[in-house]
Amino acid sequence: MSASQTQAVIVGFARSPFTPANRGALARVRPDDLMAQVVRALLERTGAKPEDIEDVIIGCAFPEGEQGFNIGRIVGFLADLPITAAGTQVNRWCGSSMSAIHMAAGALSAGAGELFVCGGVESMSRVPMLGFNPVLNPKLSKEKPDSYIGMGMTAENLAERYQIDRPAQQAFAVESQRRAAAAASGGHFADEIVPIMTKGGLVSEDGCIRADTSQEALSTLKPAFLATGTVTAGTSSPLTDGAAAVLVCSAAYAEKHDLKVLALVKSMAVAGCAPDVMGIGPVPAARKALARAGLGMDAIDLVELNEAFAAQALAVERDLMLDHAKVNLDGGAIALGHPLGASGARITGKAASLLARTGGRHALATMCVGGGQGTATILERA
Amino acid sequence: MENGAMDIQRCAVLGAGLMGAGIAAHLANAGLPVLLLDMEDRANSALEKLKKADPQPLMSTDAARLITTGSFDELERIADADWIIEVIVEDLAAKRALYDRIDAVRKPGSIVSSNTSTIPLRSLVKKQSAAFQADFAITHFFNPPRYMRLLELVVAPETRPEVADTLTALCDVRLGKGVVRCNDTPGFIANRIGTYWITAAVNEAIERGLTVEEADAVHRPMGIPKTGVFGLVDLVGLDLMPLVSKSLLTSLPEQDDFRRVFKVQPLLMRMIEQGNTGRKGKGGFYRMDKRGAERVKQAIDLATGEYRTSTKPRLEAVDAARRDLSVLVKHPSPAGGYAKAVLVQVLAYAASLVPEIASDIPSVDEAMRLGYAWGQGPFELIDKLGAGWLADEVAQAGMAVPPLLAMRKPFYRVEAGQLECLGLDGAYTAVKRAPGVLLLADVKRAAKPVLRNGSAAVWDIGDGVLCFEFTSKMNSIDPEIMALLGKTVALAAKSHTGVVIYNEGENFSVGANLGLALFAANVAAWPMIEEMVGGGQAAYKGVKYSPVPVVGAPSGMALGGGCEILMHCSAVQAHAETYTGLVEVGVGLLPGWGGCKELLARWQANPALPRGPMPAVAKAFEIISTAQVSKSAAQAQGLGYLRPTDGITMNRDRLLFDAKAKVLALAPGYAPPKPAEYRLPGPGGRVALELAVDGFAAQGKATPHDVVVSKAVARVLTGGDADALDTLTEDDVTTLERTTFMSLMRNPASLARTEHMLTTGKPLRN
Repeated sequence: MSASQTQAVIVGFARSPFTPANRGALARVRPDDLMAQVVRALLERTGAKPEDIEDVIIGCAFPEGEQGFNIGRIVGFLADLPITAAGTQVNRWCGSSMSAIHMAAGALSAGAGELFVCGGVESMSRVPMLGFNPVLNPKLSKEKPDSYIGMGMTAENLAERYQIDRPAQQAFAVESQRRAAAAASGGHFADEIVPIMTKGGLVSEDGCIRADTSQEALSTLKPAFLATGTVTAGTSSPLTDGAAAVLVCSAAYAEKHDLKVLALVKSMAVAGCAPDVMGIGPVPAARKALARAGLGMDAIDLVELNEAFAAQALAVERDLMLDHAKVNLDGGAIALGHPLGASGARITGKAASLLARTGGRHALATMCVGGGQGTATILERA
Repeated sequence: MENGAMDIQRCAVLGAGLMGAGIAAHLANAGLPVLLLDMEDRANSALEKLKKADPQPLMSTDAARLITTGSFDELERIADADWIIEVIVEDLAAKRALYDRIDAVRKPGSIVSSNTSTIPLRSLVKKQSAAFQADFAITHFFNPPRYMRLLELVVAPETRPEVADTLTALCDVRLGKGVVRCNDTPGFIANRIGTYWITAAVNEAIERGLTVEEADAVHRPMGIPKTGVFGLVDLVGLDLMPLVSKSLLTSLPEQDDFRRVFKVQPLLMRMIEQGNTGRKGKGGFYRMDKRGAERVKQAIDLATGEYRTSTKPRLEAVDAARRDLSVLVKHPSPAGGYAKAVLVQVLAYAASLVPEIASDIPSVDEAMRLGYAWGQGPFELIDKLGAGWLADEVAQAGMAVPPLLAMRKPFYRVEAGQLECLGLDGAYTAVKRAPGVLLLADVKRAAKPVLRNGSAAVWDIGDGVLCFEFTSKMNSIDPEIMALLGKTVALAAKSHTGVVIYNEGENFSVGANLGLALFAANVAAWPMIEEMVGGGQAAYKGVKYSPVPVVGAPSGMALGGGCEILMHCSAVQAHAETYTGLVEVGVGLLPGWGGCKELLARWQANPALPRGPMPAVAKAFEIISTAQVSKSAAQAQGLGYLRPTDGITMNRDRLLFDAKAKVLALAPGYAPPKPAEYRLPGPGGRVALELAVDGFAAQGKATPHDVVVSKAVARVLTGGDADALDTLTEDDVTTLERTTFMSLMRNPASLARTEHMLTTGKPLRN
C-alpha cells in the first residue's frame, strides 16, 4: 500500500442550516431526512462516485427515536446510495461526528476502504437531551456523582476555577455573534449550507445568529444553571437542529478521480479528563494530536474550537495559549448553534475549508465532550 | 332539542373589545366555531390577548383553535353564522348602521342579538325590517363572560318564540349560563339594582365617615359580594360608574328612586381624572404601592383623597353579626347604622321593581347572585330581615312601601319539602327547575339522608342512585368520610344502581383534613396517621372496584385527596369550572391515597408518549412535583387528572342530573376496571429524576425541602427498588406511596409546611 492510499483527505463539506430547536424552521424535519438531504448534496457537489463508498458513518449524541435505528444505514437508503455502501452509527456525545471522521481515517490507514461519508445530526427538537428513557446507574451515580453531571455546571466549574467573569464570557459571546453575522452577510456560509426542503418550504439560512446582541443585552439574562453563577443562555450554545457531513477518502482516490482536496488529516486524538470540567477536554486532546503531528501550537494557523460555553472555550484558549484572532474565524457554536452530533463534522469541515480559503497551512479542530473528554484533529492544507 | 329550538352550529361575534372577545372565547369553550370581527386587525390582536389573559377566558387550546378572526370589511363572512352577536360601542346610530349591513348578508332565519347593557330593544330595531325584528333579541353577558354566570335575555313581542327558546337552551346548556328573562327596561335587572346599590353604598360610606375598609367589611356578612363595594368598583373600573349612571338617568322613570340617591361625588371624579380608575388604572380605592421589592396595600382616605396604608378593621358589629343580618342592622354602632341604611334602601328599591323589570321574584334573586356575585338575592336577604321589619323601616324613613313589601309575607317558604315563592297576588307557587336541572338542595329539603355521619351524608336522588355528599368544613376529607364511603359502596352494591359523589359547596373538596394529620403528628401518633393513609387507600380502592358505577361530579376546586377520589371513580362528570390537581408537595407531602398510582397508570396507557420505562414516569413526576392544578375541566383532561372520556357539564345546575345520567348509562352490565400493572424503571430512573431536581435546586428554582419532597415523589413513581423487569401491582405502588408518605410526614420541614398552610393559607417555601 502506498502512502497516498492510506492518507485520509477531506474532499467535501456540507451542512444544513442550523436553526433553533422547537421554534426553528427545521423543528418539524426528521433528523434522518435532514442528514440524508445533506449527504445527497455533499455527493452531488464533490462529484465522488457513490458506488465507491465503503461506509456511511453517522454520529449523534442521543441515538434513539428518529435518530436511532442505525441512522448510518437509514441515511444510505434515504439518500438512494447504492446498497453496497454500508452504514454505521457512532456515539461520542458532542464528539460523535468528529469520531466518524477519525473512524474513516483509521480505516483508510488500515487499507479498509477508499471513500467514506462521515457526518452527524441532532434534532434537539425531536429527540430531547438525555433521550426519552434516561435510566442511569445508581451505583455509579452514588460513588462517582460527576459521571452524570449536567453540562452547564461544568461550565460554571471552569468559570470558577479559571476566574472567568461574566463580562469576559459575554464579550466572547458578542464577538462570536459578530463574526457569525459578518460571515453570513459576507457569503461565507453559502458554499457549505445545503438548503433543506421542508413542509414549510425551502430553508437555506441559519436561524440562531443574533447579530444585534450586546454586553448590555446579555447582562440582563439570569444565570441558567446556578443561581449564584455566571453562565447564562446568552453565553451558552443554544439547543439546535442541524446536520453536517464531510467526505473522506484516500489521497490516491482523490487524485485518481480528480477530486478537489480541502485538507489532509494529519493527526487525531481523543483524551479523557475530569467530568466536572469536561469543557477543558480539548486541551489534552489537542496536545496529543499536536505531538502526533510533530507540531507545536505555533505551527497552527487557525483553530476551530467548539463553543459549548463561552467560559469553557475561554479556559481552553487560556491553557492552549491560543490567539483568539485565529479561533473560529466565522463565529462558533454560541452564535451558530450546537446540534450535538453534527458539530464535530461542522468544525472539522469548516477548518478544512478555511485552510483552503485563507491559505494557512495547519488547522486544529477540537471540541469538548460530555462525561469528561476531548477530541482533536490536525489538518494540513493540500 | 326542546320546543322549537333551532340548531346553532356556527356563531359570529361583531366587536372584539373586552366583552366581544370574551364572549367569542366562551362560545369556543362550548365547542362552537366562532368568527370574531372588528375594525382592521383588531380581532386578531384580541385573539392573541385572549390566549395570554389571566384569569383565562379560554378553557383549552382546542377552544382557541375554534376562533377565526377578520375585519368588518369582510362582513359577508357572517353569512353562514346561525347566531350573530353584536358587541360594538354603545351608540345607537352605530348599532343601527351595523344592523343594516348585517341584514344585507345574514342567512335568513339566523338569530341576531345585541350585548347592549343600556339601549332598549325597541329603540335598537325600530328601523329594521320585520324579518330582522323577528330574529332579534338582547343577550346581555357579564364581565368576564366565561366566569360570570348571568345572561339576561330580553325579547320583544315581535321576536319569534323559537329565537327565545333557542337562545335560552343554548346559553343554559352549552354556555352554562343562568338565563334570566328580563323586561325591556333600563339596566335590565342586575345593573339596575347593582348600580343603585353601589351608588347608595358609596354615598353612605362617604357621608357617614366610614373608611373604605370598614364599608367593605360591613358588606361581608351581607354576603354581597366578597370584594366589598369599593373592591368591586375597583374591579369593574371607576370610570364606568358615571357612564352607567348617566345612561340610567336619561332613561329611568321620573319617580325612580335612583334619581334621589344619585350624586356627583367630587372624590370619584377627581380619581378618574387622575387615572386612578381601579385595577386597570394606576390604582383605585385600593392600590398596591411598590416600594422597592416591597408591595404595600394602600386605601384611599375618603375624606382627604390621599392614599394611606390599608388596615384590616375589626368591627364589633361585624363580629356580632356573624351570619345573622338582623343583628348587624340593629347594632348600635356606625357600622350597624351603615349596614341598615344601605340595606333598607337597596332592598326596598329591589322590591319596588317587580313586576316592572321581571315577572317574578326568583329571577331578580338569580340575576343578583349570578351577575353581581351576591351570596343571596335581595328577596332572600329580605327574608333574613323580615319583610315586616323592612316595611316598617321604609315607612319610618318616609319612603313609599312597595306593594310586595306591604304584604309583610316571606318571599320564600318550604311546604312539604317543596320550595315555594311569593307571587304578586300574594299566593305561593312552587319554584320550578328547568328540565335537566337537579339540585341536591331541593332533594335535601324533601327527604332525610339514607346514611350520615359527622363529615358526610348520603341521599337518594331517585332511580336507584345515591348521592354521596361531603359535609365537613370546606369539604375536607377525613376518616369519617372514608368510613361512610365504604358503607355507601357496600349499600349501593347490595341494593342500588350506583353512586354520584357530589356536593353543592363552592369547592368540591380542598383535600385532606390537614389539621387532623398535624394534630396526630404533634403527638407522634404515627400509627394513627398511617392508618388514615391506609384507610383512605382502602376506601378509594373500594370506589374503583365497586360492582356498581361510582361517578364523581366536581365543581370548583378538587385538590389533593379531592382529586384522588375522582381518579378512582368509574367515570367523572365534571363541571367545566373544575380546578383539580395533586397539590400535596405544597404541604411537604405526596399523594398518598392512590394519586401517584392512578396518574402513573393513565400516562402509561397514553399512546401519545414514547415507549419505554421513563416517559410516563417523567410526565407524572413533572405534574405531581410541580403541583399542577388545571384551570378548567378540559385542562384536567390534558393533565391526565380526568380521562378523555369523562364528561364536562357547562352549567353548574345541571351537573348532578348529568352525573346521575352517567351512572344510569354505565349501570347496565357494569364491570369494574381491570387493575393496572406497572413496569417501572427502579433506581436507575429515580437517579435520572433526582439529577433533574438537583439541577432545579442549583438554578434556584427549587428550595431545599422541594428537593427532599421531589425525590420522595421520584422514589414512588419509579417503583422504589423495583427492577425494570418486575411487574408491580397497584397494591405495590400504594404501599410505596404509604411508606414514603410516612417518611415525609415525620420530617419537621414537611410539618412546618403543613402548619404554615393551615395558619396562613399559603405555601411555605422552605
